[in-house]
Amino acid sequence: MTVHDEWTDKLSEYLDGELSGDEQRAVEAHLHGCADCSLVLADLKRVVARAQQAGAVARPPSADLWSGIAARIDAGRSATERSAKASAERAANVTPFRATAARRFAFTLPQLAAAAALVAAVSGGLVWSVVERAAPRASEQLATAAPPAAPAAADPSPDVPDAVDRIAPVGMADAQYDAAVSDLEKALKQGRGRLDAATIAIVEHNLQIIDQAIDQAREALAADPANTYLSGHLVEARRRKLDLLRRAAALTSETD
Amino acid sequence: MTLSAEPPVRSGLDGDVALAAAGDSSAFERLYRTHVAKIHSLTRRMLGTHEADEVTQDIFVRTWQKLGQFRGESAFSTWLHRLALNVVLERRRTFAVQRERMTDDPTAIDFVTVAPARADLVVDFEHAIEQLPAGAREIFVLHDVEGYKHREIAAMLDITSGTSKRQLHRARMLMRKHLQGE
Repeated sequence: MTVHDEWTDKLSEYLDGELSGDEQRAVEAHLHGCADCSLVLADLKRVVARAQQAGAVARPPSADLWSGIAARIDAGRSATERSAKASAERAANVTPFRATAARRFAFTLPQLAAAAALVAAVSGGLVWSVVERAAPRASEQLATAAPPAAPAAADPSPDVPDAVDRIAPVGMADAQYDAAVSDLEKALKQGRGRLDAATIAIVEHNLQIIDQAIDQAREALAADPANTYLSGHLVEARRRKLDLLRRAAALTSETD
Repeated sequence: MTLSAEPPVRSGLDGDVALAAAGDSSAFERLYRTHVAKIHSLTRRMLGTHEADEVTQDIFVRTWQKLGQFRGESAFSTWLHRLALNVVLERRRTFAVQRERMTDDPTAIDFVTVAPARADLVVDFEHAIEQLPAGAREIFVLHDVEGYKHREIAAMLDITSGTSKRQLHRARMLMRKHLQGE
């Protein structure tokens, strides 16, 4: 490196105001007597100006990239939907009674913990809410409808719906759990006409929250299978879904 | 009975951003068409033409996945640009080429060709940027095109400010050679 190169190498920092006061003044003094460095500095100013000019111009890609993006988005969405609908699709002739979430969600562990707390809160609120909504309606029906047929003598407990009796208790193994969920969804679908729209909306909303928690826990477990917190979270979320379906299915019978 | 489980449209976000965050892919396509030129230009300048299409697609898929995290505290374009830059830098780290790119190459001065006499000077200039050695190119784009400071670049690229300054000067001197041909 020549002595001249040492001056040239300072020109970018000089141009950007990055030099100390003493260095800045030394370069300025050199520039007054050096035509070559002054020429280089002028060129560097042109380069910077052209870079800023280029930054203000945005050129689109030569090919439309949207189709590839849309395909990847749809693939991700389909994977989520497949996971969410897997249980219902295994039950013949049962049409899932809700749409799945339209897009994927990504949660961190703290967010999953918060989701678990939320699920607990809304499930508790749901019990109060649906009971409050369903009870008056059931009373109104009893007051205005023709006397119902006498219950079968063999039925020892008309307050407990048959559908719930058949599946309880249930373990959390996949096949058993999925069968129970399918039975309850089927019972709920058949009896939903007996529930008012507000009650159904609450049930659907809370099922959606729980399903999102289940989906996210499954995805997180796929990446970290040994995580005991995630395993516990998944079990708890599945238990809450089953409990919610049971209570909702019970309401369809209670309002008969 | 049909019950809708569509995520609610979030308040506080502008039109298409709110719709896209709620899962509306048509709204997201409109966002894509609004911003793709700027994002593709960033990826093209940082990584080169051969990687720009693929990385741009990655950026928009990532944007779709992370829209739920956008709070509207900054402009969507600012948030998107930062996300895009993160994807570009992540790509760069994935290929673990940083150390090689930062190695001074005394022959690099010959990489940038003298500009031919062409009408579209911006295209020519961008073509010259693509010919810069990768390390010098990234810093030139981040500093002179995107406007980041040396300390910000140093943090992004895990290098020192001094290295950033040296690479910037190197890139400018190479680009000077290009402009001399105009």
